[in-house]
Amino acid sequence: MDTLSIEAQLVERAKAQDEAAFEQIMRLYADRLYNYILRMVGNATDAEDLVQETFLRAYQGLPQFDGRASLGTWLYRIATNLCIDHQRRRARRVQTVSYSEGEDEEGEPCAWDFPDQQTPNPLEAALNRELEAVVEDAIGKLSPKLKTVLLLYDVEELSYEEIARVLGIPIGTVKSRLNHARTQIQKAVAAYLDDAPLSARVRGTK
Amino acid sequence: MRCEHFERQMWAYIEGQLPDARAFEEHLRACPRCQRQLAAAQATYRTLHALPRHRAPANLSEQVRRRIAAAPARPRFDWARKWWRVALAPALGVLVAAVWWGWQTPQTAPSYGIASEDLTESLVELHEQLEVADWSPSPTPSYFITTGYTR
Repeated sequence: MDTLSIEAQLVERAKAQDEAAFEQIMRLYADRLYNYILRMVGNATDAEDLVQETFLRAYQGLPQFDGRASLGTWLYRIATNLCIDHQRRRARRVQTVSYSEGEDEEGEPCAWDFPDQQTPNPLEAALNRELEAVVEDAIGKLSPKLKTVLLLYDVEELSYEEIARVLGIPIGTVKSRLNHARTQIQKAVAAYLDDAPLSARVRGTK
Repeated sequence: MRCEHFERQMWAYIEGQLPDARAFEEHLRACPRCQRQLAAAQATYRTLHALPRHRAPANLSEQVRRRIAAAPARPRFDWARKWWRVALAPALGVLVAAVWWGWQTPQTAPSYGIASEDLTESLVELHEQLEVADWSPSPTPSYFITTGYTR
């Protein structure tokens, strides 16, 4: 049985008040949605609240879910709408949100939290971590429209078609927003590569 | 090929989606600026696709269950909306008729104008009650008054 029909069965069972089926839906999508929402909103506390809200809305909306969209598309749509509403509310209070300045649930800085012990070249590993921080920071500065498309395509790895369905926009718009978003990130990376002495040293070793 | 053209094709090239890359690569060999652009774009693409994935908190489903239990029971929205629409249609008709009547007889019966204002207020109140009863987005009273209940 393929993933879609397994999910369709889970949805049918969850609609019939099968709590275990809804639990399974949550297990399937919790990490994906949390990862997406965290980068959308930029801090762990809000992300935790919004992923809970996403599942609450999904639970309440199940009777209306007709299966025309896939379960994933539907959940990403709920999450995206919640994140955009959240950012609008927050934009009134805060000028900018920088993801790299946030902290994860243990209070550790996110951007430096993932040492890669397997990388053979320590300089390259250090560069990768620096690049990660630059990219995360640049993602945090994107407009919600561009950020949504970039995260769904490059990080969550949805297809153009799926993103078009999640956002209710044409595929051409998805592609154009993706290009704009990537170019903005690329500019930040280019500025970093031009300036950073560490990266210059790494490039010099190649 | 010009630099702007090169930049437009850069992401397709990185993803291996450029059907014919000869002109692109020819420009690349000759243009140090575009070489730097491509290097930055490749680093961007690699980094984006290798970003660490964050895991949801372990107690997420417990928290969601708690919120589901605490959420108010879901009313039968569809039924409620249809019922109110049926009730609102004649009310709107009465409003239009009252306003028209008020305009037609301003000198001899000024009280009709007041009556139509009262009716408008009643209708706004009715609509506000409708909004309270129905949590889903619905037209504001002013929208309702000016353009009618179209959904």
